[in-house]
Amino acid sequence: MEDAQPAEEMNGLPPAEKANDYVEYEAELDTSDEEDIRNTVGNIPMNWYDEYPHVGYDWDGNKIIKPERGDQLDNFMEKMENPDFWRTVRDLQTGQDVVLSDKDVELIQRIESSKIPDSTYEQYAPWIEWFTSEVMNMPIRNGADHKRSFIASRQEAQRVERYARLIRAGLLKTREQKRREREKKRERSFYMMWSTDDAEDQHMRRITDHIPAPKRNLPSHAESYNPPPEFLFNEREMRIWKKQEETPWKRKLHYVPQKYSSLRQVPAYPKFIKERFTRCMDLYLCPRARKMRLTIEPEDLLPKLPSPKDLQPFPTIQSLVFNGHTDMVRCISIDPLGQYLLSGSDDMTIKIWEISTGRCLRTIPVGGIVRSIEWNPNKALSLVAVVADRKLLIINPGVGDHLIISKTDSILSTPPVQETIVSDKVKAVVQWDDATPEEWENGIRLVLNHFKEIKQVTWHGRGDYAATVMPDGANRSVLIHQMSTRRSQLPFAKSKGLVQSVLFHPIRPFLFVATQKNIRIYDLVKQELFKKLMSYAKWISSMAIHPGGDNLIVGTYDRKMLWFDLDLSTKPYKTLRLHSTAVRSVAFHKRYPLFASGSDDRALIVSHGMVYNDLLQNPLVVPLKLLKEHEDCSDFGIFGVTFHPTEPWVFSCGADKTIRLFT
Amino acid sequence: MDRSKKKVDLGSQIQIKFITKQEIYAVPEFPFAVDSKIQCENLNKLVNELLKDKLSDDNGVVKKVDFDFLVNGELLRTPLDIHLSHKNVSSESIVVVEYMEATPSPEPMDCLIHDDWVSAIHSMGPWIITGCYDNSIHIWTNKGKHKTGISGHTGPVKAVQWISISNDSATFVSGSQDQSIRVWDWDIKKGTTNCLQIGRGHERSVECISVSPDSTRFATGGWDTMLKIWSSDPNYEPADKPAKKLKSETKIMPPIMTLKGHKENISSVQFINNSDLITSSWDHTIKHWDGEIGGIKTEIVGNKSFFNHDYSDLNGSVITCSSDRHIRLYDLRSKEGSLVKGTYSSHTQWVTTVRWSKSEEYQFVSGGYDNQMKLWDTRSPKVPLFELTGHEEKVMCSDWSNQKLILSGGADNTVRIFKNKNVKTN
Repeated sequence: MEDAQPAEEMNGLPPAEKANDYVEYEAELDTSDEEDIRNTVGNIPMNWYDEYPHVGYDWDGNKIIKPERGDQLDNFMEKMENPDFWRTVRDLQTGQDVVLSDKDVELIQRIESSKIPDSTYEQYAPWIEWFTSEVMNMPIRNGADHKRSFIASRQEAQRVERYARLIRAGLLKTREQKRREREKKRERSFYMMWSTDDAEDQHMRRITDHIPAPKRNLPSHAESYNPPPEFLFNEREMRIWKKQEETPWKRKLHYVPQKYSSLRQVPAYPKFIKERFTRCMDLYLCPRARKMRLTIEPEDLLPKLPSPKDLQPFPTIQSLVFNGHTDMVRCISIDPLGQYLLSGSDDMTIKIWEISTGRCLRTIPVGGIVRSIEWNPNKALSLVAVVADRKLLIINPGVGDHLIISKTDSILSTPPVQETIVSDKVKAVVQWDDATPEEWENGIRLVLNHFKEIKQVTWHGRGDYAATVMPDGANRSVLIHQMSTRRSQLPFAKSKGLVQSVLFHPIRPFLFVATQKNIRIYDLVKQELFKKLMSYAKWISSMAIHPGGDNLIVGTYDRKMLWFDLDLSTKPYKTLRLHSTAVRSVAFHKRYPLFASGSDDRALIVSHGMVYNDLLQNPLVVPLKLLKEHEDCSDFGIFGVTFHPTEPWVFSCGADKTIRLFT
Repeated sequence: MDRSKKKVDLGSQIQIKFITKQEIYAVPEFPFAVDSKIQCENLNKLVNELLKDKLSDDNGVVKKVDFDFLVNGELLRTPLDIHLSHKNVSSESIVVVEYMEATPSPEPMDCLIHDDWVSAIHSMGPWIITGCYDNSIHIWTNKGKHKTGISGHTGPVKAVQWISISNDSATFVSGSQDQSIRVWDWDIKKGTTNCLQIGRGHERSVECISVSPDSTRFATGGWDTMLKIWSSDPNYEPADKPAKKLKSETKIMPPIMTLKGHKENISSVQFINNSDLITSSWDHTIKHWDGEIGGIKTEIVGNKSFFNHDYSDLNGSVITCSSDRHIRLYDLRSKEGSLVKGTYSSHTQWVTTVRWSKSEEYQFVSGGYDNQMKLWDTRSPKVPLFELTGHEEKVMCSDWSNQKLILSGGADNTVRIFKNKNVKTN
């Protein structure tokens, strides 16, 4: 614009006009197309409206009427009279006559003469070299700044931070601070000589956890200047005092009580300074420290177990004593219904008892020491297996349902046809014999003569198979007999140790074989070792399995009782050291979460053993009750323990020739 | 010194007021101040003193009467203050003491010697019947004279009961461990017995028998968990099949009804009227059956096996004994709250038999394996009224059908008869 000004001046226009023109120009610039166009028909050839009296429509939708046109004569008159006629043109859009300004005219003229339309444009201005090949001291760039230049510098921030830290720490001082310090130095300062104003500061200086010095004893009557005469030393006491001259720490008092008639008479205490000094030395040289004593109650160390009261019912007192045997009772068994009890004794008899009354119903002589006895678990059979020395007797006890008794007899009276030939190896170990008529009269139905002394017999849950244990039989120590076919099998080829006890799994086809130290579980279907349980005991005596089949308790001669969770591990889940002597027998209850153990110390211990269905919850084992009713008799105590099948009652038999029922 | 002691005494005095339901012993109703530690004995003296005029006869001789004292519904057996503190009663207010003539102690009368354990006993009219472990049944008179011994069972007799007694003949029923029930007819004049019927159906030993009040039916229970109801009519034959003839006169009898419901041994059964029965079982339940329809009306579940029970018409409650030394009183009629209305514990071993008195609302006897028979008052739960000692072995059965006689049989092969003098004359 500034460049254009001289040109305008050159045009010779007065300044006022120039300003006016400027405004006009501005207005022209400002007027946008939309505002200017009063006709709304748009950019169309206007000759379409030639035949109409209007040329289009204004903003409000009204017709824009063509202005009245004069005829040729009027046009001529106009041409003659109007000096501006030559510069008047018609606006086709509006149909109005517009008088072109000088500027417009000039513009037209310049276009016609092929000049640059803008008269102010300096066509021949000097060239400025914006981009040059020459290297300049201050190069001009037109590129955009890098993003980095808009972000605060990290180093700078760190530096500032460092400074701030130093300032806060007092290592760096700002100018302002320095100035203030200088001023302060010039001023006179005052301060508290002996203490600080700050209470908190004072507290910090004090010894925390102060332990006061031990108090001195209050003066006694003997220390009085005028003690009662009984406190004064008599001659004997004086003698003792003098005798202990060498050993003053043995003296009862460290002074001789003295009597003065009045306080005035009391002389100065000669040892005052010395005693004060020793007291100070004591306090100084014997530092006092607070002893941190850890107080652990013995009860807290025990695991939290539920109270036995909440675990009712369990046997608590002796209810019945079954007297009748004339020697030690080694084993007991209860019929599956819970009406009768069977006991085997060293007097070479077995007895059948009625549980509810304690009445002995039958006595059957078996001709040998009865080491093991078990009622057949099958309710449709009336059979018991009795071990008498080297014989396994299958006896029909003749109690219970008459129909079952006679049916059992008829089954056993006819031996099944032997299809397969019994191998010599088995024949050498066991022979099946029918009972003699006298034996038949006594209820004995089958006699299995073994080649060694039998220690234990156990039935399979269905009652067809029975297993016997002969500890001295080496690899032939375990035998499995099938009653229906009257055949025996030797399940093991090799001896794995002295077999103590065997047990059938209640549900699955497993056989538990306890040797002295370990328990092996054999799968009878696959005929292979399934698992081996480590007892870490010296000698296993007996075992019992939970009716669920996943938990096993084992009694040992080294006083322990081990609880195995078969799902958990091959090591004992719990070791109970409840007995003071060898554990002889263990038993589980079929319905209640109870188990019991009997030992040589005559104690029968009943415990709660809850097994949860939830696999995540470990069994709960709580010892409940110690029942010590058996009398002292030789070195033995309890031999056998068994639970009633339905009631929470436990039976024990022992060396005192009795069987006892606890309820 | 003397004065201070008096003061102490005064401090522990209780005001009591005597009341009674027996008119002849009524005393004026004003409160007395007595020592708080007063016992039955002194209260007795006090009441006797108050009644001096009434009790003295024309000659001025004072008859002494023994009284029992009832405080807050329980018989006084301890010093009064202890009794009150047990009952949580304030000793400040006037304590009402009810008194009544004390039950005279039963006296041992006779001892009937058997050859084996006596497991069942029942008396009716002048006759006593006992069941024995040597498979025999014995009939005795009330005076203790042995009339006859009957054998027939092949197992120990576990239950006997009279069905009917007339002048010249009597019928009774017995159940045994040999799984059979026998109905017998006894000709009193001739002294002969014959077995009318043999009831077969139980699969295990029969443990209990009860004859209905109208003597037409009887019920048995046993180890096979079945409750069977039989007809006592010797000519009873089920409609569908005629009874098999075993011998000329002995018939095999089938049961009218077999009721299944118990899970274990039925230890005791009793008809409470002509149709309803109560059974108690080892499966911890007492069941109330409708004997006509054959369904369970109500059931009480305890937490121990029941060995025996007895129902009393007089108070409508059932007394039970179970495998834990305690005797429990159940009320069959109550539906809410605790079913156990009382617990009586004094026996030291299992209690095997309980019997209500037939005329005294509050009295019953119990016998247990601690060789003791005990006479109880329901209002005295800790201490029995009397202990009837005599048995040297376990008591297995008892009977108090005849109010005058308390009978008990035991494992010492004897039946002990105690004479009860507390008999109301109607």
